[in-house]
Amino acid sequence: MPSADAVVVGAGLAGLSATLALAEAGARVHLLAKGHASTHWASGGLDVAALPRAVTVREAVARLADDARHPYAILSDALPPALEWIRGMLQHEGLPYVGTIDGPVVPVPTSIGATRPAAILPAAQAAALRPWEPGERLVVCGPGGFKDYWPHAIARGLRRAGAWWGSAGPERVDPLVVELPGVRDRLNLDAIELARLFEEPGWRWDAFAAIRRALIIGGLDGPGRMALPAVLGLDDHAAVLAEATSELPLEPFEVPLMPPSVPGLRLYRALRAAIVRAGGRVQIGQAVVRIGVRDGRVVEVAMEAAARQFVVRTDMLIMATGGIAGGGLVGHPDGTLREPLLDLPVEAPPAMSWLAREPLAAGGHPLEAAGIRSDAELRPVDASGRPAGPAGVRICGSLLAGQRYLRERCGDGVAVASGWLAAGAHRPSAPRRDAPQSLAGEVAG
Amino acid sequence: MSITELIEAAAHEPVTSTADGCLKCNVCNTVCPVSRVTDLFPGPKYVGPQAQRFRLAPGSPPQAGSVMPVLSPDHTVDLCSGCGFCTNACPAGVRIAEMNSRARAQMRADRRPHLRDWLLGQPDLLGRVGVPLAPLANAALRNRAARWVGETLVGVHRHAPLPTFSRRSFRTRWSRSRGRRLRAPGSADPERSVVYFHGCAANYYEPEVAEAAISVLERNGLEVIVPQQVCCGLPLISNGLYAQARARARHNLTTLATFARAGFRIVGTSTSCTHTLKAEYREMLDLDDEDARAVSGATWDICELLLDLHERDRLDTRFGRSDRHLPYHPPCQLRSHGIGLPALDLLALVPGLDAVDLDLDCCGVAGTYGLKREKYDIAMAVGQPLFRKLRESGADEAACDSETCRWHIAKATGIRVRHPVQILAAAYVAYAAAEAEAAGAPSDG
Amino acid sequence: MGERMLTPDVLVIGGGATGAGLLRDLARRGLRCLLVDRSDFGTGTSGRYHGLLHSGGRYVSKDPSAARECIVENQVLRRIAAGCIEDTGGIFVATPDDPDDYVDAFPGACAAAGIDCDEIPVTETLRREPALSPAIRRAFRVPDAALEPWQLIEANLADARAHGADAWPYQRVVAIQRDGRRISGVTVRDERSGASTRVVPRMIASAAGAWAGQVAALAGVELMMSPGKGTMIVYNQRMTDTVVNRCHPPGDGDIMVPVHTVAILGTTEELVEDPDDDETSSDEVQALINEGEALFPALRRMRVLRAYTGVRPLYRDPAVQGPEASDDGRAISRSHIILDHEARDGVEGLISIVGGKLTTYRLMAEQAANAVCAKLGMSEPCTTAGEPLPGMGDSRAHWLGHRLAEHEDRGGGDADLICECEMVTRAMLERFLDRRGPCSIDDIRRGTRLGMGPCQGGFCTFRAAAIMAERAPDGHTDRAAPGGSASDPEGALSTFLNERSKGTRAVAWGRQLQELWMVTGIYVGVMGLEGSSSEHGGEATEDHGAVS
Repeated sequence: MPSADAVVVGAGLAGLSATLALAEAGARVHLLAKGHASTHWASGGLDVAALPRAVTVREAVARLADDARHPYAILSDALPPALEWIRGMLQHEGLPYVGTIDGPVVPVPTSIGATRPAAILPAAQAAALRPWEPGERLVVCGPGGFKDYWPHAIARGLRRAGAWWGSAGPERVDPLVVELPGVRDRLNLDAIELARLFEEPGWRWDAFAAIRRALIIGGLDGPGRMALPAVLGLDDHAAVLAEATSELPLEPFEVPLMPPSVPGLRLYRALRAAIVRAGGRVQIGQAVVRIGVRDGRVVEVAMEAAARQFVVRTDMLIMATGGIAGGGLVGHPDGTLREPLLDLPVEAPPAMSWLAREPLAAGGHPLEAAGIRSDAELRPVDASGRPAGPAGVRICGSLLAGQRYLRERCGDGVAVASGWLAAGAHRPSAPRRDAPQSLAGEVAG
Repeated sequence: MSITELIEAAAHEPVTSTADGCLKCNVCNTVCPVSRVTDLFPGPKYVGPQAQRFRLAPGSPPQAGSVMPVLSPDHTVDLCSGCGFCTNACPAGVRIAEMNSRARAQMRADRRPHLRDWLLGQPDLLGRVGVPLAPLANAALRNRAARWVGETLVGVHRHAPLPTFSRRSFRTRWSRSRGRRLRAPGSADPERSVVYFHGCAANYYEPEVAEAAISVLERNGLEVIVPQQVCCGLPLISNGLYAQARARARHNLTTLATFARAGFRIVGTSTSCTHTLKAEYREMLDLDDEDARAVSGATWDICELLLDLHERDRLDTRFGRSDRHLPYHPPCQLRSHGIGLPALDLLALVPGLDAVDLDLDCCGVAGTYGLKREKYDIAMAVGQPLFRKLRESGADEAACDSETCRWHIAKATGIRVRHPVQILAAAYVAYAAAEAEAAGAPSDG
Repeated sequence: MGERMLTPDVLVIGGGATGAGLLRDLARRGLRCLLVDRSDFGTGTSGRYHGLLHSGGRYVSKDPSAARECIVENQVLRRIAAGCIEDTGGIFVATPDDPDDYVDAFPGACAAAGIDCDEIPVTETLRREPALSPAIRRAFRVPDAALEPWQLIEANLADARAHGADAWPYQRVVAIQRDGRRISGVTVRDERSGASTRVVPRMIASAAGAWAGQVAALAGVELMMSPGKGTMIVYNQRMTDTVVNRCHPPGDGDIMVPVHTVAILGTTEELVEDPDDDETSSDEVQALINEGEALFPALRRMRVLRAYTGVRPLYRDPAVQGPEASDDGRAISRSHIILDHEARDGVEGLISIVGGKLTTYRLMAEQAANAVCAKLGMSEPCTTAGEPLPGMGDSRAHWLGHRLAEHEDRGGGDADLICECEMVTRAMLERFLDRRGPCSIDDIRRGTRLGMGPCQGGFCTFRAAAIMAERAPDGHTDRAAPGGSASDPEGALSTFLNERSKGTRAVAWGRQLQELWMVTGIYVGVMGLEGSSSEHGGEATEDHGAVS
């Protein structure tokens, strides 16, 4: 039975952040997860906070932190250094991010022709953050035959009144469908496959030439930028992006797509690589099925395996299992939400009122804020604030109650800050390394 | 029912009903090595949970007036190599690769098996014929004309990484050196002995792996019992020949279950065979009876067992120094075990040895998949990143736990690939030699 | 803009199966006919049933004449509409709770009604349908099947159009004018453009089903319908490839029908005032599952995609007393009645057809057409039973795997799959749009099954919306069907997704809740859907700092 200083459950941004922070601090850490999830579904940007009438991220965070029940009430101090830290790590892995929490939150185009508020984006998406100068045009450019990016529909959406929330958008928005070599003939085509095509130097040379030609033929030159689907390479992304920037006459930026998210995959891979390099273990594929507890403390974490459970001995469990979408909270037919690993008390609206509102209605949904309540150290507590569950547990990411991650766009900020805080990275010293006592007896499940 | 029981019930639900969990999120498609290299394969989501909804259950009554029964009308599922990455990546517990295997078996069920698949499915049959004729058979395997004939008539690719037959099978060597000791469970101490399942590779092609394993086990005070056994049946399973596989499984279960019930551990040197004993008999062949459960619970991969000894302070760690870089490739089947990377932990015990996980997905061969005429090119393309990284490493030797991967990587790169247990066995020998040298050499002082 | 005026021989009101069948029947007899529906075709009861082509077995004990009608029409439809039918066969199984006398009498009652019924051994039944409860005691095979309603309606309309008739969706009858006893005209309003049309038919045939009372009221006729609300739930996978009925007096949760890629568990029964009452409650869903578990014990662990509610067009003759007059919906006959409002109410030029079930839609249409013809002094015979519906004569067209097999025959791959769950290709979608013109995503769903799979439109809706947008000329601002317009794909998207989520509310647990949440997260978080424009433009008033 291997032992570890800490086990992190969940491979989303929170779990990856916690694992990396621990591994960097020299802790022996195992990240265990059933599969990939949130990073692969997300935009690849870092959504820290965005609220109406809050000009900057920092302002939005401060407003959210004013509410004692919001995770930012605990995390707002940790947030700036945690963001700095993870951006440094990502930069080191060749995935730099642009924008700061003091910069403005601006509307950036999406692949259904709407806009979303953003402030911190990977370099490939960053050109969308800059204010639009008078006379600038936006060309929405995508390959013909690709079902997840429709330039005409996107351009039409971006031309609608209000699409840019009243702020200055591009002066013109034009669609451009380009036939890229061999793409139309493919039987199978998704964002990943396009990203791999862009990694072939010869192919992308031809592709950029085809785009240049189409821009000239379409008369779409002049000052402006172009919105490309987020498929500019995966492993070799930096090179593809550099070439796109130098070869295309309009400054390109990537627009995130429906899953599989290529920018999200890049983020996942960069963090995973950093973890492995720092000596952390990442084991993805089987569900964590049991947390061993003795004398009120976590002592081991068991993962499903082919013949017998794979058990890691540890006294620190970081739960980054996600919210409802990630499977960290499970809905039951009786109208309750439950936390499946430790049956921790879930803070949620009353049973059976879950979907009383339309999920896409402006203003969000009450169920968004559901989760596990924690104390300032991210230890789970019950409704009255008393400790819940065994000792040695920390809660991270979207499992934390009180955030409305859709409406407040705070999911990534909460994930990074809570992962970093749970790992103890805010403390000057490395986490405890004292091994648990001998485990001769039977461990209670 | 407790939450844990619910999770465990879910973990043991039938493979095909796990399709119910599919969120359509495309995460599986991001990890598929086959769809990465060929446009012919639509990827795990398409052939797995998506196609599953269009498949009739086996046993469905034929529907009048239609072209029924067509249980599984798609044919692209045959391009799935069964590596299992999709299953491991799925956040919703869908057993995609296993589902694909079943679909292939449904497709094959009402047809006569292809001669090639029938042959490749039975390495034990090939071995029984090939070993007595080893010089002749190996010459034929090296002969270009014979290989051409094999490709044209049988459908085995002319460049397929076929192993050479050993001149004597492991069993022959074993019975000559140790006598025909077919020990009954009652005559040995389950605490001090293990049952060795050598499988076909170690028996007919690489007896040196079996001998290395036995020397390491014996070095650690374990008596090795080699019971009567036949091919585990995995090649038949992956060629969709479930009925034939079941016959072999029953044969093995009968022998092995008596040992398992008597408390013996069953150890194997092929991650594929051990995974078959652990999981596939129950999951794929529906042999989920008491025998199968007993054998599953008793089966260990050699490195898993050795690491377990180490964690209980029972492993002799006196390994000889070996100052070199050793690239290590964990085979896909190992990931399905869900036991982490025990070989890497063991190799780290060898002083000076810098064993590094290559951290790439699949070598491409996937058992017998890459041997086939129509799939060889796919297998080579899948393995390219691994081959490249291996060549760039400059190492002259690499380690891998699975035989078909070893043969494939070795053939593609020209680099020698050995089982980790061979490295450990050599390190024991090196230690003994160094000791002897130290004892024999005059002290310089 | 002046009002259009049309003078068909017959105006058919209601574009469900009965109306479409009636239009076909009348057109084939040589009458010039127009059909109007307030919404898309097949959005009322026809599109909201369980998908069962009855053998009649369900009615043998209580209503033998309905059972006889069912088996006769079952055989007719297998001839004329084979392409809409998946010949799954059906079984009636007796659980330990089902009354012996009912079970013992069942085969005899089937024989008396002319329904082929063989008892099959329980072991054989369980081998074929392993998800069935091992506790079942007996099993009888009957010729049930699965019947696809929208294709059936489309095919009837296509044949009617080929015989000179016309059919308009989204045209609501807003007024019926009378000249004394005689109906003198009808005003129809286009629900999309608001334009009105005046129709002056020789006869009106109301096939408005549960809404027939509302239509009759426009003509000043009192017609009391007793709409019977029935809830059904859709399972993600077919746990049975055969229609399974419980062998007992008809009740709740006792039919499971494999329909395309899903299985549908039906139904509940509750009399309601308003035929538009389509709320599905969690209680109804839980009650259905509780009952259904007697047939399929693992039901609670299987993934439910959605729940929906249909309204049976039940009619209680005010003259009838006894059990029929009770509040128990199941006591009301499933038979149909043609109401001649001239004889009944003294209003000339209007008949209504009420009651009945989808399996007997053609017979209802035939009898209604006979009544219309009699009024118009015609004696053309009915030909709808003999002639296959266009494109529907081939039973090989419809079986579970057909879309997968056809797609693979065309080369396979996912590049062209717009809806991956239900394998709707771009070409299928474009053909539908060519045929239908401006329409909503929900119309596309009924026409192609787009969005009917596990993700309930999550991954395909924006593609469909984009294709609609790409087809409309730039700058074009059409007024398409409510909830879907090419000039506002984003609006079409949120309308459709919210609409789909309604059907998910009552079944939102486990994977389906997770799915809904993931999809919502992607659309709001990554795609910026949800009026971000207004929220971040400084217009919002709600205090976002206040988290409850």
